[in-house]
Amino acid sequence: MGRAIVITSGKGGVGKTTATANLGAGLAQLGNSVVLIDADIGLRNLDVVMGLENRIVFHVVDVIMGRCSAQKALIKDRRQENLYLLPASQTDEKDSVTPEQMKTLIFELKNVFDFVIIDCPAGIEQGFKNAVAGADEAIVVATPEVSSIRDADRVVGLLAANSIPTSLVVNRISPHMVKRGDMLSQADVIEILALELLGGVPLDEEIVASTNRGMPASVNGRSAAAKAFMMIARRIAGLEVEAERQTGAGFFAKLGRALGLSPA
Amino acid sequence: MWNEIKSLLRPGKTSRELAKGRLHLVLAHDRAGIEGAKLQELRNEVAAVIAKYVAIDPESVEIQIDRITRGGSTQLTVSSPLKARASEP
Repeated sequence: MGRAIVITSGKGGVGKTTATANLGAGLAQLGNSVVLIDADIGLRNLDVVMGLENRIVFHVVDVIMGRCSAQKALIKDRRQENLYLLPASQTDEKDSVTPEQMKTLIFELKNVFDFVIIDCPAGIEQGFKNAVAGADEAIVVATPEVSSIRDADRVVGLLAANSIPTSLVVNRISPHMVKRGDMLSQADVIEILALELLGGVPLDEEIVASTNRGMPASVNGRSAAAKAFMMIARRIAGLEVEAERQTGAGFFAKLGRALGLSPA
Repeated sequence: MWNEIKSLLRPGKTSRELAKGRLHLVLAHDRAGIEGAKLQELRNEVAAVIAKYVAIDPESVEIQIDRITRGGSTQLTVSSPLKARASEP
């Protein structure tokens, strides 16, 4: 039985879809079979981020309404054998599916795939409820900004009320702004939200370029953000369980630890 | 360390510190799920109860919701200065 993970944030534009694409591609790269579900019905975007927009015939609402089989609606990734996308419908409404229907669909997909990654729409209304309904775990994406963190905290509360274990990805950290005292650090965000950190992703121009190309950066990517997403994918897969996970320690702390200068 | 020195030299807080402080306050209110008018009502009722037992100025009663600990527990604080010692009988 696979794991269903919802990627959510409350606020829009913080990198949910980018995170879904990169973590999904990363998990597939690590040898897992992965299906990505775009749960943003009416505003689909995961298809363009993945570069699969030209291949869509059927979508998630077709599958739920029984107009086609899930197998028929799944689109295979261009680069990776074991990565699939189930696109959202662009013309239906958020309430055209129910949480129960999503649950059933995700359960079916978990029988076939190692990971079912659900890209949640922004907001905390029907679309959110549908997206989290079938999830076993949640990853909250937040940027180091007050509006993003406030919304993330609301979502964390709702996930806790649904008993869904939740961890945090801090996206678009600018290290030199943090140093200058003009941006919340990864540690600040963890402290405020009181969540377990899955990883931090630096602000990186390469993400814009890779999205332009429709190719998630995490696959063979050399940029800082690509490496960070790959590291997070490894953690999700349970491949790396190191001390840094708890502390979110920076380079010098890690170096010090490696040299035996500071306690682990 | 350089940043600590800089922050000592620079008057006022950095925007990072400001953001942190503001978020702690805003999230404490969000988590408590109590909004403006209701909070004022709570304040007025608490003030009335305190005034029944000790000499206070009900207008000086302050109510605050904030998070004290790292663990995320939220605290409600009501504070009120007492009026000068009540005259002994």
